[in-house]
Amino acid sequence: MHGWVGNRLRVDLTEGKATVENLSPQYLRKWVGGRGLNSDIVYHETWEGMDPLDPANPLCFASGPLTGTFSPLAGRTTVSALSPMTCSYRGTNVHGHGDTNMGGQFATYLKYAGYDQIVVKGRADKPVYIFIDDDKISIRDASHLWGQGVKVATKNIIEELGDPEIKVALIGPAGENLVKFACVVNTFSNSGGRTGMGCVMGSKNLKAIAIRGTKPLTYADPVKFAEEAWMLRERVRTSPSAIRRKAEGTWDLFDAGNAIGINANKNHSTGYMKGIEETYGGLVFADKYLFRRKACWSCPVACGRYTYFKDGKHAGKHFGGPEMEAACNLGTRLDSYDLEGAVWLSGIVNELGMDCISAGAALSWSMEAYEKGLITKEDTGGIEFKWADMETSEKVLYMIANREGYGDILAEGNSRVAEKLGVGAGIVPHCRGLEHISVDPRIATGFSLGYAMSTRGSDHLKNYSCNEFPGCAMSRKDQIVDALGPELTEVFWKDFPNELTSFATKPQLCYWSERNKCVADLMGTCCHAIGSWGGLGDWRAYTTLYRLATGFDMPDEEIFVAAERVVSIERANWLRSGSARQDDTHIDRFFDEPVADGPYKGLKIDRKVWAWAQDEYYKLHGWDEEGFITDVKLKDLNLEEVIPDMEHGRKLYREYMEQQK
Amino acid sequence: MVDLKEKVIVIDPDKCVGCHSCEMACSLKNFGKAHPYYSRIRITEFRDVNTFIPITCQQCEEASCIKVCPMGARYRLENGAVVTNQDACIGCRACMFACYQGAPVIDPESGKTMTCDKCVGEEMPWCVKACSMQNALEYVPKYMVNSTSGKKFAWELREEYKPKGIKDEGSEFGFSFG
Repeated sequence: MHGWVGNRLRVDLTEGKATVENLSPQYLRKWVGGRGLNSDIVYHETWEGMDPLDPANPLCFASGPLTGTFSPLAGRTTVSALSPMTCSYRGTNVHGHGDTNMGGQFATYLKYAGYDQIVVKGRADKPVYIFIDDDKISIRDASHLWGQGVKVATKNIIEELGDPEIKVALIGPAGENLVKFACVVNTFSNSGGRTGMGCVMGSKNLKAIAIRGTKPLTYADPVKFAEEAWMLRERVRTSPSAIRRKAEGTWDLFDAGNAIGINANKNHSTGYMKGIEETYGGLVFADKYLFRRKACWSCPVACGRYTYFKDGKHAGKHFGGPEMEAACNLGTRLDSYDLEGAVWLSGIVNELGMDCISAGAALSWSMEAYEKGLITKEDTGGIEFKWADMETSEKVLYMIANREGYGDILAEGNSRVAEKLGVGAGIVPHCRGLEHISVDPRIATGFSLGYAMSTRGSDHLKNYSCNEFPGCAMSRKDQIVDALGPELTEVFWKDFPNELTSFATKPQLCYWSERNKCVADLMGTCCHAIGSWGGLGDWRAYTTLYRLATGFDMPDEEIFVAAERVVSIERANWLRSGSARQDDTHIDRFFDEPVADGPYKGLKIDRKVWAWAQDEYYKLHGWDEEGFITDVKLKDLNLEEVIPDMEHGRKLYREYMEQQK
Repeated sequence: MVDLKEKVIVIDPDKCVGCHSCEMACSLKNFGKAHPYYSRIRITEFRDVNTFIPITCQQCEEASCIKVCPMGARYRLENGAVVTNQDACIGCRACMFACYQGAPVIDPESGKTMTCDKCVGEEMPWCVKACSMQNALEYVPKYMVNSTSGKKFAWELREEYKPKGIKDEGSEFGFSFG
């Protein structure tokens, strides 16, 4: 097989066995790649009401068909399982699809070792790690690595196996201690943070997966593939947004975000911080702390940051990161102007193996709740929280990862913390239990809808909402026509780019971007590749490469159907637990409390407009007004087996709605 | 006479970000496959300190690989590149050890050694082209090597001696002659 390897590796840790399954071309046509392969397994091998920490929960690592080839921006790994972090308004014990996407080199070497996907099930009786040496799979003792931080453990594993070319994906102490938002990290510092995949890995007593891959990938048409790839690379090289990404990393939205007041400062209470551009931002970071950029596999842009403190409190310390979300959620979200402190906290969070967004959210929630008197010293075990207190934050981060004292409570994720303490549910900015990134959903309406409709809980990357910023989608009418058809395009294009704060065309934008982003995930490419800021190529360039690499004669329309199928199966994972329309929404704060500061002061979401936007979005997908996928649609997508689950889910949903009345 | 216009690949490890595009380009060009082991340029990674060292043949004037080869299989092409005649090579790997940087690598399909041929016939070697965003690899005539990334001294002094307060057109990533 070309492009693909065509193998799935299954490891059962309870039995200590590994088996290899062949993936047929028909199967690959149906699910295409990365996220698709994972979502299929996660839906079909879990069930409604399953505990995510159950040994049977399948933890999947997948690569895409372009991963490990000469295609630019194609070095991504998707990690999926039933998520322990997310939940529903039906109950904090209702869980759904979880996945996270990380860069680095793990997926590439997974393919070089001869597998497109690993599915890990079971639970080892003591800490272990899996060593994949091409065809030889061994499960090794990891007792001596248990408790070690990410970077230390990675180095120790590589030294133990005696080959510097071995790639390692692993968890830190947070994952071992089942912190609900623990992350998986590969290649020293490329983290897959969201939805708590590290927690699932920890629950299997699996510290790490190490890979040595020595087998080459082949192309169906190497000559044409090279031609197309060079054209795409040239496009990336000359694109202004790539040049900006290179200089500022993922921080390129920070300054603009603050200027229009959409950042999530002070636990989402204000979007604007006066004078922050002096001490914060991508260029300030690059100037002060950036040592050298780092790249994912085969990516010419290399937006990854690497920190080195030349002087100051932490002189001599160095570590990978931070990206914008890490520095914002551990900095401005805590109302802090201290970039050095935020960068340092991000280093700690990475080493402990936690999601920086949820960790920052846990801190900022505690600060706000403490300020408002919702929690007191008695709840926190004597810790006094105040805004911008980086020293306390550092202490608490360690407490979370080690599950000590108050940290043990925070480790459950904000929604469950609020439930357990019985206070402050109204100040947890989340959708489906996953906290928002640092963009205010009251102002950026595309983000707003994207957060709520995402198939893994609040998330800006599933419905790639950055497209809403003027200039991103402007030159792409032709793409929109392809994606939506000419009629919808007219509706969408009429007043585009519309006001940032208007919902008018956002359902279409979300729908369109969601599908394009899903294509990126299926190919194994970065979210910046498709449906992103102009110039890094569009989905057509990548689908062309896909056809040339694999030799599959799969037209774009069929890839779009596959993308819709993947989104649907992920959505179905939620729907079968009765998490439908009631969860596709925001907390009351964003409907009732206006924005406190900045150019959009006074703005909040109108409930009627929100309901309209929900309906519109459902209609585009062909879902009914309760948010359920219709039987007709499921049949169109070849997902007949899902129909009975939808019936069950609808029953649960209606019971819940009855109770609410 | 040395042909000073002959182009060579100049490496600046300080600019390398470890993306391995050069390896992917090389293995695609020469084998139609994708794997670093099929590439003639290799990046040695030190991820723990975020440092990456690309290594490829520097086509030495007095090439020790040519001298050490017991079969006389190492020879110079017209474009200056030193390569292995795979028909004569016995795969003893002596050239690897004789090379000061270990540039020759094993061809996974024949077991013999291979080194960069600067993509004979192409305007620019594919690895250099693939690095055009980072410029860790540059393809420059020999007379320019000392003024590009190979030697940054002049560029450092430039900052000191250039007219002060002028609008400087040079990009922050250095100037490329590629």
